[in-house]
Amino acid sequence: MSIDETTAPGGVGQDDESRKEGRRIVLDRHGPAYRTEFVDWAQRLHAGPRIAWNDTHGGYWFVNGNQELFDVARRSDCLSNDADISNRRRGYDGINIPAPPKEQRGGVIGGFLEMDPPRQRYYRNALNPYLSPAAVARWQPVLDEITRAAIDEKIESGRIDFVEDLANIVPAVLTMALLGLPLEDWTVYNEPSHASVYTPIHSPDYPRVRELSMAMGMRLFESIQQARANPRPGLLDAIINADLGGEGPEDDMEIVGVVMLLIGGGFDTTTALTAHSLEWLGEHPDQRERLHREWETLRDSATEEFLRFYTPAQGDGRTVSDDVEIAGVRFREGDRLWLSWAMANRDEQVFEDPHEVKLDRTGNRHASFGLGVHRCIGSNVARAGFKTMVKAVLDRMPDYACDPAGTVHYETTQVINGMRFLPATFTPGKRLGPGLEETIATLQTVVDEQRLAEPITVRKDRATLT
Amino acid sequence: MKVRVDPDICQGHTLCAMTAPNLFALSDEDGHAWAINEDVPAGQEELAREAARSCPEQAIVISE
Repeated sequence: MSIDETTAPGGVGQDDESRKEGRRIVLDRHGPAYRTEFVDWAQRLHAGPRIAWNDTHGGYWFVNGNQELFDVARRSDCLSNDADISNRRRGYDGINIPAPPKEQRGGVIGGFLEMDPPRQRYYRNALNPYLSPAAVARWQPVLDEITRAAIDEKIESGRIDFVEDLANIVPAVLTMALLGLPLEDWTVYNEPSHASVYTPIHSPDYPRVRELSMAMGMRLFESIQQARANPRPGLLDAIINADLGGEGPEDDMEIVGVVMLLIGGGFDTTTALTAHSLEWLGEHPDQRERLHREWETLRDSATEEFLRFYTPAQGDGRTVSDDVEIAGVRFREGDRLWLSWAMANRDEQVFEDPHEVKLDRTGNRHASFGLGVHRCIGSNVARAGFKTMVKAVLDRMPDYACDPAGTVHYETTQVINGMRFLPATFTPGKRLGPGLEETIATLQTVVDEQRLAEPITVRKDRATLT
Repeated sequence: MKVRVDPDICQGHTLCAMTAPNLFALSDEDGHAWAINEDVPAGQEELAREAARSCPEQAIVISE
């Protein structure tokens, strides 16, 4: 305190110290220990400080208590998601902590997740009719068919990698379909979408992943040109033609950012949820058998419970845009803060036995899709894809056993709590139809002929597969 | 018992309709919820409370 008085008499330094007093922690969210020591951290922080000041990565508030997160996350009146990479407004740094240097972002931001209302709201209004529960339900026959084909590729062999052979494929192909992009392009977007999340910048593999990401970006630019020349229904068309308060997207970089947000949100998160859940069910065969037997009654509660427990997207950053006091903390304009959905989901003040999976948990108001105006716009796609894959596995390989020696989790949970490999063996079964490549070609015809990627406002009927 | 969904708070998480599909309906366009009947039918009170507990945004207002 005396030091503060010397260096900043009566000024910001002293006030800054008092704001953070009793709240300081040092937690490296980007380190591998945070993943393995997560439960210890949760128990420690939930005892207080439930909003901590984390002295890493430039310093930021770490909101971890459930009630505190609820109170903070919904304050879009004084929190900003803005990634102002051209320094045209207040120069805020978007949702990543630490933020990538503005000049290294290649002119691309994370779509409307790095925008504030009203522009963010215009985008969501344009895209919701493609992603609402009713809109997603139309795709169920397509989801079933992709899942069937992916499993058929492996069913006779008795061996599968649940990540590479199933959970990577189904969300990726469906996301291509929703966007109105060629379904076969899922392979172009697949590896970079996952690898860019799990490959640290110091990895020897990083240059190759970067090349793949560049190739993906190039393909996307081509697809935008093609979509302008030959419009096809889908999310991409909706983005290109979005009414953003009387104007459209500023340039193709803005469109690329929005598409990449939807691809990033559509691919790796559902993969992470599905793989972790299949791993848990493999470790708890009695619960697996119960979920299969009581699927109709447990399907929804089990899905929400796996979402809570594994929290695929672990959190989001914000910038405080106005001085404000919330939950006893005096936030100041320009402060950075992290909304830890993962931590809030393990708070015993709201969830009984928070570190246990209970398939029939009730009152499960988890924050895995975020809270407030930025709620995950693809949540209904995620749930549908997850349920379809898990049900198909329970039906067709009910005795699967995962191989712990070959199982690989992401080294860190810095972005996504994900998995790279989950190999398993099971009693072989019979194929039910054609393989993946042929199925994707057939589905492309169905998508095109029935114009499945139209919004719900244009097309109400479910897909029809013959 | 009366129930309503505050449209300014609802963000379309859909958990209410999942919990109590007879009490809550979802917009086709954006998945935001509304109460099908303002008056909760007899015998459905606990379901309505459970839906309110499940709402991540706490957008469901119940009055006895």
